[in-house]
Amino acid sequence: MGSAATNASPTASRPYRIGREMLLFGALLLLVGFFSIYSDAFLSQRNLTTVLRNSVDLGVICAGMTIIIIMGGIDVSVGGIVAVSAVLIGRAFQLDLPVIWVVLIGLASGALLGLINGLIIARSRVPPIVATLGTMYIFIAVLFLVIGGVWISGLPGTLSFLVLGSIAGFPVGLFVIAGVYLACWLLLRRTPWGQHVVAIGCDEVAARLVGIRVDRTKVQAYALLGLLGGLAAVLYVARLRNVEVNIGTNIALEAVAAVILGGANIRGGVGSLLGSLLGVLFIKVTQNGLVLIGISSLWEPVVIGGLLIGVLILDTIETRRTG
Amino acid sequence: MRDLLSQRMFFLFGLLVAVGILGAFLSPHFLKASTAAYVLQYVPVLGVLGMAQTLVMLSGGPGIDLSVGATLSLVSLAVAGLYGIGVPLLAACLIGLLVGGLLGAANGFLVCVLKVPSLMATLATMFVFSGLALALTGGSPIGGIPDWFGVLSQGRFLGIPIHMWTIFVPLAVVLHIFLTQTRPGSHIHASGNDERAAFLSGVKVWRLRFGLYCLSGVLAGLAAIMTLSWFQAARPDAGKGMELLSVTIAVLGGTHIFGGTGKILGTVLAVLIVTTLQAALQLANISQAWQLAAIGVLLIGSVMADDAVAARLRTRVRRPA
Repeated sequence: MGSAATNASPTASRPYRIGREMLLFGALLLLVGFFSIYSDAFLSQRNLTTVLRNSVDLGVICAGMTIIIIMGGIDVSVGGIVAVSAVLIGRAFQLDLPVIWVVLIGLASGALLGLINGLIIARSRVPPIVATLGTMYIFIAVLFLVIGGVWISGLPGTLSFLVLGSIAGFPVGLFVIAGVYLACWLLLRRTPWGQHVVAIGCDEVAARLVGIRVDRTKVQAYALLGLLGGLAAVLYVARLRNVEVNIGTNIALEAVAAVILGGANIRGGVGSLLGSLLGVLFIKVTQNGLVLIGISSLWEPVVIGGLLIGVLILDTIETRRTG
Repeated sequence: MRDLLSQRMFFLFGLLVAVGILGAFLSPHFLKASTAAYVLQYVPVLGVLGMAQTLVMLSGGPGIDLSVGATLSLVSLAVAGLYGIGVPLLAACLIGLLVGGLLGAANGFLVCVLKVPSLMATLATMFVFSGLALALTGGSPIGGIPDWFGVLSQGRFLGIPIHMWTIFVPLAVVLHIFLTQTRPGSHIHASGNDERAAFLSGVKVWRLRFGLYCLSGVLAGLAAIMTLSWFQAARPDAGKGMELLSVTIAVLGGTHIFGGTGKILGTVLAVLIVTTLQAALQLANISQAWQLAAIGVLLIGSVMADDAVAARLRTRVRRPA
C-alpha cells in the first residue's frame, strides 16, 4: 500500500491529537447546549443518565476498536461477536447457571471469536477487512442457529446493577467505562505491548525487522477487542434483558465512526482513546437529542455521516498544512 | 499474475459446478429448468453492484465503495418520487442514473480530490445516503410504478429474465472488453498494480479513479432501476447489506482488495456461485444461517487459497531453472 510513509511519527502528531480531543469536547458542549435550549428534558439528570447507560456498550467496544485501528487493522465483525456472546449469555441464563458463569461465558466466547479473527489475520495474509467481513457472516450464522429466529426475552435482572445501579451517586456504567479505558490506556501507552501496537500501525515491515512479534501482537489485539465485545454483550443483556435477532447490525460501523471522529487514522499509527470515548458520547448525545427535540431518529445517520465527512475534510486540510 | 488469475477462473468454475451438484443432491427440484430462471432473477442486481465494486477495487488506492447499497436505495426513491410528481418514468430513470453518478462523484471528490481513505469516505457517505433515504420518506416505501415497467425485471424471454438479456450480459461484455482491450482499461490495471509507476508513465491515476467512483454510482443507479421494476415500489432500505455482499462477490471473484488484479468474468462467476448457493439451500429448505456461513467461509477460504497458490508460484520463480 505504501501508505505507512504518510503517517506522522507519534511524537510529531502529539500536539495535534490533543487539539482534536479539545475540538471534539468543544463540539460536544455546543451540541449539549443546542439540545438543552430546544428541549427542557435534555439536561435533566434522568436523561443524562440514560444517555450514559446507552453509551456503555458502544464505549467498551470502541476502546478495543481504537487499539485495532491504531495497529492499522479493522474489525467489521465486532457486531457479530457481540451478537453471538449475547445469545450465549441468554441461553446460559435460561439454563439457570450461576451469574458468574453467565458472565464468564459471555467474556470467553467474545475472546474466543476475537482470537479466531486474529489467527486468520495473522496466520494468513487475508486483509483484515476481508477476513472480518467473512467471519461476520459466520458469526451471524451462528447467531441464527443458536437463537432459532425467535427473540430471547424476559431474562432475569440479576446483572442489571451493572447498568442500572449506582455507586456513590454515580451510575455503575461510569465505573465500567472508566476501568476499561484506564486499562486500555495503560496497555497502549505504558507497556511495551502498546508500543508494539503503535509500531505495527506505523510501519509493519519495520516493526517485523526490529524483532517485534507482529503476528502474536495482532492475535492478542483482536482477542482483546473480542473480549471487550463479550463485555459489551454482558452489558447489553444486563441493560435490555432480551436478545434480538438483529442485534449488533450497526455496531461495527458506529464503532469505526466514533473512533475516527475521535481522531484515529484508518491507515494506522495514530489514534486516541479519550477521543474515541468523546466520539461515542457525541454519537449517543446526537441520537438522544434528536429524538428529544422532535426530529425523527431517522435523521441520525445523516447527522453522524455528515459530521464524519466534515471531520475527514478537516483532517486532510490539517495534514496538508502541516505537510 | 496472469497465470494465477486464470487458475482462479478454473477454480471458480469448478466451484460453481460443485455448488450445482450440491443443489441437485439437496433438492429434487433443483435440476428443473425453472430453477435457472429463479437463480437468474437475483443475478443482475447483485452482479451489477459486484461489477461496480470490482472496477473501484481494481484501480487501487486501495479503493472500495461501501455506499453502493445506499446509492441504490436513494436512486430508486428518487426515480419513484419523480414519477410520483408527474415526470415521465423513462425520463425519471435517466435522471436517476444521473443522480447515481452525482452521488458517486461525491465519493470521488472525497477520495480522489481530498484524498480521504476510501473506506472512511464511503462509510461516511453510506451513512448519509442511507440515512437520507430513510429520513426523506419517513421509512415508508413509494409505490405506484406501472405494470408495464415491471417487464424489465419480471418478464422472461426464452425462460431467462429480461434484465439478464438487456442489462447484465451486455454490461458484463462491455466492461470485459473495456478492461482487457482498451487503453483506459489497462490504465486501471496499471494504477492498481503500481500507482507511482502508472503516474510516472503519464496515467492520470486520480482522475481515472474519480471516473470509476462516478461509474460505480451510475451502476448502482442501474441496479436501482432493476429493483424498482422488480418490486414496482421503491423501498428506502432496498440496498441494505448489499455493500458488504458486493465486496464479497468482487473478492470471491478474484479481485484483489488492494487493486491491480481482477476480472469481470470472475465477478460474474462469483455472483452465479453466491446466488446458486442461496437458491439451492432455499429449495432444500435449509436455514438461511447456513447460507451466510457458506458465504463467509467461501470469502475467507478463497483469499487464503489464492495466497497459498501465489506463494507456491513465487517459490517456483525464485528457484533457479
